[in-house]
Amino acid sequence: MTDIPDRQTSGLGFVGQRVKRVEDERFLIGEGQFVADLNPKGVLHAAFLRSPFAHATLNSIDVSTAAALPGVARVFTAAELNAVTNSFPPLFMIEGLYTPLYKCMSEDKVRHIGDPVALVLAESRYIAEDALELIEVEYHELQATGTIDQALAPGREQLWDRADGNILGDISADFGDVATIFADADRVITRTFNCPRQTNQPMETRGSVVIVDPATGHLEIHNTSQAPHFLKWAVAGLLVNDGAFRNLSRFARNKDRRKAFSAAAKAFVSTNKQKLLEQDPAGQKSQMKKDMSFLRAQARMAMGLLASNDYPTVKAGDIGGAFGSKGSVSREDIALAAAARQLGTSVQWIEDRVENLLDGGQAREERFTVSLAVDNDGTLKGMKVDAVLDGGAYASFPVSAAVTVLLWKLYMPGPYDFKAFELNAKIVATNKGKVVPYRGPWANETWMRERMLDVVAKELDISAADIRLKNVIREENMPAAFLTGPTLDETMSVAKTLDRALEMVDFDQLEQDKAAAEARGHRLGLGISSYHEAAPGPPNFFSSAQPGSDMFLHEDGRAEIQADGRIVMYTSQSPHGQSHQTTYKQVAADEFGVAMEDIEIVWGDTDRTQFSFLGTGASRGGPLGAGVMRMTARELRNQVVKVAADMLEAAKEDIEIVNGNIHVVGVPTRGTTYADVAAKVASDQAVSTGPVFKEEMKYEGVGNGGWSVATHIAWVDIDLETGQVEIPRYLVVEDCGPIINPGIVDGQVRGGVAQGIGAVFYERHHYDDNANLLSTTYMDYLIPTAMEIPKIEIEHMETLTKGENDARGVGEGGMIGAPAALTNAVSDALGVDVLEQHLPPYRLLELAGIISS
Amino acid sequence: MSLPSATTPAGETLAINVTVNGTLLSLNVEPRHSLADVIREDISLTGTHLGCEHGVCGACTILLDGEPSRACLMLGVQADGADVVTIEGLANNDGTMHPVQQAMYEAMSFQCAFCTPGFLMSTIALLRDNPSPSEVEIREGLSGNLCRCTGYQSIVDGVETAIRLIASNSAGIDPVGEPT
Repeated sequence: MTDIPDRQTSGLGFVGQRVKRVEDERFLIGEGQFVADLNPKGVLHAAFLRSPFAHATLNSIDVSTAAALPGVARVFTAAELNAVTNSFPPLFMIEGLYTPLYKCMSEDKVRHIGDPVALVLAESRYIAEDALELIEVEYHELQATGTIDQALAPGREQLWDRADGNILGDISADFGDVATIFADADRVITRTFNCPRQTNQPMETRGSVVIVDPATGHLEIHNTSQAPHFLKWAVAGLLVNDGAFRNLSRFARNKDRRKAFSAAAKAFVSTNKQKLLEQDPAGQKSQMKKDMSFLRAQARMAMGLLASNDYPTVKAGDIGGAFGSKGSVSREDIALAAAARQLGTSVQWIEDRVENLLDGGQAREERFTVSLAVDNDGTLKGMKVDAVLDGGAYASFPVSAAVTVLLWKLYMPGPYDFKAFELNAKIVATNKGKVVPYRGPWANETWMRERMLDVVAKELDISAADIRLKNVIREENMPAAFLTGPTLDETMSVAKTLDRALEMVDFDQLEQDKAAAEARGHRLGLGISSYHEAAPGPPNFFSSAQPGSDMFLHEDGRAEIQADGRIVMYTSQSPHGQSHQTTYKQVAADEFGVAMEDIEIVWGDTDRTQFSFLGTGASRGGPLGAGVMRMTARELRNQVVKVAADMLEAAKEDIEIVNGNIHVVGVPTRGTTYADVAAKVASDQAVSTGPVFKEEMKYEGVGNGGWSVATHIAWVDIDLETGQVEIPRYLVVEDCGPIINPGIVDGQVRGGVAQGIGAVFYERHHYDDNANLLSTTYMDYLIPTAMEIPKIEIEHMETLTKGENDARGVGEGGMIGAPAALTNAVSDALGVDVLEQHLPPYRLLELAGIISS
Repeated sequence: MSLPSATTPAGETLAINVTVNGTLLSLNVEPRHSLADVIREDISLTGTHLGCEHGVCGACTILLDGEPSRACLMLGVQADGADVVTIEGLANNDGTMHPVQQAMYEAMSFQCAFCTPGFLMSTIALLRDNPSPSEVEIREGLSGNLCRCTGYQSIVDGVETAIRLIASNSAGIDPVGEPT
């Protein structure tokens, strides 16, 4: 990376501006291309028959009447599709964890309401749903597990035969001298906190359109995937199931494939030598103790990948939100691809909302018993947490609930100077829909910790502000290795956001407002929460969670200038509302010194973009995705400048590019253009199309810190007559580094806070004790409207760091901070300990003592 | 609007005449197909989105004889004789955006934009009936549409921008749904 001029922006300076969204040019006129809009001619429409029981064995299934219905092309039973697909193997294995393997359909046993047992393909979705009603299934109902208490209780019906009851994981970690710290502290305060189930609920459901090439059988899968490359590999590995011997012999006879494989394997090993050595086999050993079959499943998957030359192409177009729920490979994705391959016909599944509520992704049903060792002056010393995570029936693939526990391990002490921390976390299986990452998947650690700080403050009779100010880690003590491992960076300081947020509160006025509220029969309270989040984290973040786990986490980039001068940038991200196209054009246009419309951004197509394990998620789009855009653009610009300097007979150091005019500084009238330079190179190389300049890069990440930090303060007003709440003010002071586009960043912050408001006051994904889902429509699962979400006041700090690319992720933070600030405000308003996250009107009135619980 | 009285066997269709975005169409539709499916599949106007198919999210909101209506809660045959405007019918024939579209662009109102068609339709109806709503009236007017991305502030800002754009536009908010 020599010859890179020390400049980040051209004269145009799009970065930092509130540039209007490029995406809106198609969305606002109804020309977005969402997966359901594709509807190719002749496609067969899928409908899944889903279990009406939470837990049952299947005695028999008869699809003959359904298959005979006019318009039905085929009905697949679970057994038929399972026979041609491999098991989903565990990919994240952790010491103390057992991850049960499962297939794309359920043939012997169903484990939650909505578990798929048959697949109908018909001329229309209407006919497919008619056919569902003609399938006869005989179930034998089993005792279902619907609560964390039931899952922990011995002697109940097990979801998975090899588990210890319904406990799948028992994961522990400790840092510092926990025993001594707890023994020496003035007191230990303990509380138990509960968070009920929530669901991500993007406005667009999941969907997959599998187009089969009639000549070659190649699959082109249009999918709502946040991670199209991972889906491609998953389909390739889970679909091919011809038997190990046949696969191996096919691989052995295929010289090109063999060569390509050995080259790729060599390159991978040499790039990741150190990280491979760091791998800890403890997780595999834990899994092997329970079930060796994952080795066979992984081997079959690998065989499938080796045997095939023809991996599917996955394309993700416009995606209507996800919030983490579309990062997993759905069982339906695999069933559908298998069905398309069996039939040789294009098929599509557009999930309906009831299906999405049943199994489109659920989260956050967790319990924490936390003990804080504190001194009487408010000094926080030690934290011990017993946590239980309700993982539902099936582990999401590849990022399972276990990853949340790994992140808890790193995050729980938060931005405070604890000297010791111990976590004992259990993951339990229940007869509920699958748990997926949901916007800040670990976020309940912030809720639990920040709620607990207020409990401690109250018990010690100090203020919520003072206990935070006293214990927050200040920048003068950084950079420092944080208690749990990752490096904390002095340039991104939670303390600064806390100081600033508190400055923006008039506490005298608050007392007057509280009195006024009380006079009206209301109660007003204020709540604070502070947190830091790895966005994407310092270089040692993921390896602190699991050694070597950062192996797949680099973000690759590619950029080209075509023979006609067009600049084409390829991203491995899969945007679904975050406005990547706009921000990446801003970043690249500044580097190239051209207008935004001169840049083309290519995304979502696995044939054109580079591999990415995660795609869009984990707050990577700004720091890593835009970071690699910037760096590839800079390299490419540099290549162009070299040629242009020759053409202009000048030194390349003297070249500047303004509005696409490449010229010697001060002589804009004698300039050239990208098109001219590209034409010259094309002519020199005797080509007329294709790229004439090309840059590819593996990008390991941002500079020294990688943290986003924030403090939220919420004012909550509760009407004691109705239990209704108003949020008269909500303040976010956040630091995600320099902002690429304030319009977009503000939207991310507000959207996250809105989901937090939903979680606390409106949304509960409600299963009864027998694991029957009660919230199967939007009449039951209440997503807040414009009436419930207030104006969110946002103050940005925009601290520059020492990194090459200063932008930090900002997508998840709103949702991380909001539940804590809101429940703290309720606690302040009502003067009671609030030990649960969900506070609908009746619960507020119970807490206020107006009605009895 | 009249309901077809005949019951039809599966697969049979009924003829309807419906004006969509200013163009009169004669369609043969299956009696059980929702108006949303008729719009999206029979007429291939995919700008109208289906978010919940049970009338809560509002993404499928269209203007039916001028009134915002859930296309997922109606049958296509119920639109016989009606005038329907979808998101595709909002921009002018010369390609310039309707003031409400322009305002939402200026305000950077949306993110994933799946809810967008419904919000545009609800906003147009709101501002036609009340050209200068207060913020509370705007929020109430939009409360039949769910957005999961934005926290609504940017959409409220978009409506307020639209009020200013329409006030400065001699043509006012209408017409929408000119023939294309």
